[in-house]
Amino acid sequence: MKKYITSIILLTASSTAFAEAPGGPNCGWGNMLFDGTSGLGNHIFASTTNGTSGNATFGMTSGTNGCSTNGTLTYGGKEIVMSPIMDEFSEDVARGHGDALDAVAVMMGIEPQDRDAFAETMHENFAVIFPSEDVTAGEALTAMHGIMQNDELLTKYTV
Amino acid sequence: MYLKYTFLSVFTCLLASATALAADNSSYIHKLQQRADDSNLWQHREWLNLGHYRQSKIITDNYSNAVDDEHFFYSDNGKTSPQAELDATLAAFFSEQPGGNEHALCRSPARFNWLNQHLQIDAARLPQPVCSDYIEWRSHIHAESATLVFPTYQLNSPSSMFGHTLLRLDPAEDENWSDWLSYAVNFGANINNDDNSLFYAWKGLTGGYPGQFIVMPYYEKIKEYNRIEKRDIWEYRLNLQPSEVELLVTHLWELKDINFDYYFFTENCSYRLLELIEVARPGIELTDEFVITAIPADTIRSVEDAGLIESTSFRPSQETVTKQMITDLPTEDYAVLETFLEQPLDTQDPAFQALDDARQQALLGTTYKLLRLRQNRKARDPETASKSHLLLAKLSRYPKTPDPLITPPVKPETGHLSKRLTLGALERDGHGYTELGMRMSYHSLEDNEAGYMRGAQINIFGMALRRRNSTGTVYLQSANFADVFSLSPRSRFFSPLSWRVRGGLERVFSDDDERLVGHVTGGGGLAWSLHEDSMVYSLLTARLEANSTFTYKVDPALGAAAGGLYHSAIGTGRTEINAEKFTGGEYRINFSLTQNLVLSRNNALQLKFKREWHNDRDFNEVGLSYNFFF
Repeated sequence: MKKYITSIILLTASSTAFAEAPGGPNCGWGNMLFDGTSGLGNHIFASTTNGTSGNATFGMTSGTNGCSTNGTLTYGGKEIVMSPIMDEFSEDVARGHGDALDAVAVMMGIEPQDRDAFAETMHENFAVIFPSEDVTAGEALTAMHGIMQNDELLTKYTV
Repeated sequence: MYLKYTFLSVFTCLLASATALAADNSSYIHKLQQRADDSNLWQHREWLNLGHYRQSKIITDNYSNAVDDEHFFYSDNGKTSPQAELDATLAAFFSEQPGGNEHALCRSPARFNWLNQHLQIDAARLPQPVCSDYIEWRSHIHAESATLVFPTYQLNSPSSMFGHTLLRLDPAEDENWSDWLSYAVNFGANINNDDNSLFYAWKGLTGGYPGQFIVMPYYEKIKEYNRIEKRDIWEYRLNLQPSEVELLVTHLWELKDINFDYYFFTENCSYRLLELIEVARPGIELTDEFVITAIPADTIRSVEDAGLIESTSFRPSQETVTKQMITDLPTEDYAVLETFLEQPLDTQDPAFQALDDARQQALLGTTYKLLRLRQNRKARDPETASKSHLLLAKLSRYPKTPDPLITPPVKPETGHLSKRLTLGALERDGHGYTELGMRMSYHSLEDNEAGYMRGAQINIFGMALRRRNSTGTVYLQSANFADVFSLSPRSRFFSPLSWRVRGGLERVFSDDDERLVGHVTGGGGLAWSLHEDSMVYSLLTARLEANSTFTYKVDPALGAAAGGLYHSAIGTGRTEINAEKFTGGEYRINFSLTQNLVLSRNNALQLKFKREWHNDRDFNEVGLSYNFFF
């Protein structure tokens, strides 16, 4: 597991990045909950070429303006891809389990033995993480961080 | 795991070495080229695969290449000469220019590794470019195994009709990784956002769009297929070894930003992925059989035949999940579900409050799913967002919500093969006929249903010849370009449309004779499930027909069709009545009964009865045919 975490914890300058907005300077706070899929379905015939529009990046994450191209937010020194899966993640938090919740747990470096506890804690705190439908990915991450800090088991992942 | 660093470690070793003189290098390069030539390295399968060369079957020293990009080749003749390309590649490795990421050593790691393995290149003589892009990219790609991913087709999206395939790169199985975070390798067009859809579709079909390999996180593909396009996804984990996957990944880097010819039917996503797998495991041959068409399901079969599939899993679409959740609800809860969907959410509703926790939870979860499905492809609206949020907030107060149990359908690759040969005997209007038919792809409503989606017909390129037994005359009965029929049953919570489009040449009874006419016929309407195994449909139709007996040669017609489809263990049965009237006054009414009898996966018998009513006269047709899929 370790080797992947180290690569996810990419080269963020310091782990005290909390002072600045997730995603780095001027990158915003990620998209809002239920921003959903608008704009993605415009190419009715897209599948004739199975194409991808615009800025296909070949899996490279850093964009040109210092903001990541894949909706990555940097938090606590970890890169968390939150915006693109926020709808799925909020549903999984409400249900108490699911693939999106697992993905976020992996990105946060939660060890397998703590994943159930992580899921349960998130589930219990849905209203704290998602206080309204206008919450952004960055705000949700901040709230999660707060919850984890106050959790005996999960606090170790917030350092 | 360690293998993936072999390439990088070469450079690390280099740091200690002295810079070689250019003059020395040119004779050394020449020596390497000589050695490569002596052992005919350029003819090796691995080299041809890495260069995406295809050897002509007729003139064996003739090579063609689907790469349509000068940047891929180091030699001016690289596109047609694997030998010149090998020599030029060797020379490029020793060139001081261009530096950094653009250097051949940075751009072509797989070629270098392979050539180095055969020629033991003296590392001390090589330049030392810093391949920062490659190093960064490799830090994202954790690949020790590969999974072939097949999003099946979706009924109401014509362009998705054959499905699609992509490749997912996964870390080792014991890593407790989330496959959402794995990278997906997709071959497709890199679309110019300014193009409109129709133009784009046309370019996609005809090859006007160059295709590229694109690498992106797998969750993007899950969202695209499972959620937005409502397509179920089959995942085939391949038994490629970590070293083979490593080879694939290093080669994949060589294809970054490289343009290929792209054709919808042949050199499409599926074909290119097979080429990648051939690179990973030299010696297997996957692409040879796809000279004419590469249909995704067929490519899965060829991968299976090559013994590459380790395990299979099914990832249901959001629509499939939601439908299962609705089925799992007690029917008496449907009224509450409807109220929840249509009205502002009121959980104090006595009908809801009267239910036990599990049923309340199931209702909230199902309402949420349906609401989101209806919001699919739409822009965010505050009201739906607020309701969605409220539903989740309520749902979160219950214990963990279980996933619905979904039984995966029959695997698509186990269905009948894509091409069909038909041999039939029939009696029509008192005359006996023999028929020989051939269809290039893919599935008719009545064909053996295992592995295919019910109510989905996709027939491309079919033709039939008929021989009138009494006279021995043989004539063309039909030549279909396409016949696509999409029947999506409506239900209380889903209201899809059904439609049919077909076109080509066909022989019809007109003006007292059988005549070959050209036509385009389309229709739209509705379908309903009667029970699990049957559905009925009704369509309004329109037809444009080129017929030499018409006053204006081309006449439009309006009509209607109604029918039913019944699936059973012996085979699918279908009844249809359709009527159409042309502006010139000609009318045609057909009633048909068809029963398919499944003999085995690729063999079937078909019984057909048909009654036709025309201006001049009415008659019957009865036939029996044998269908062989191959």
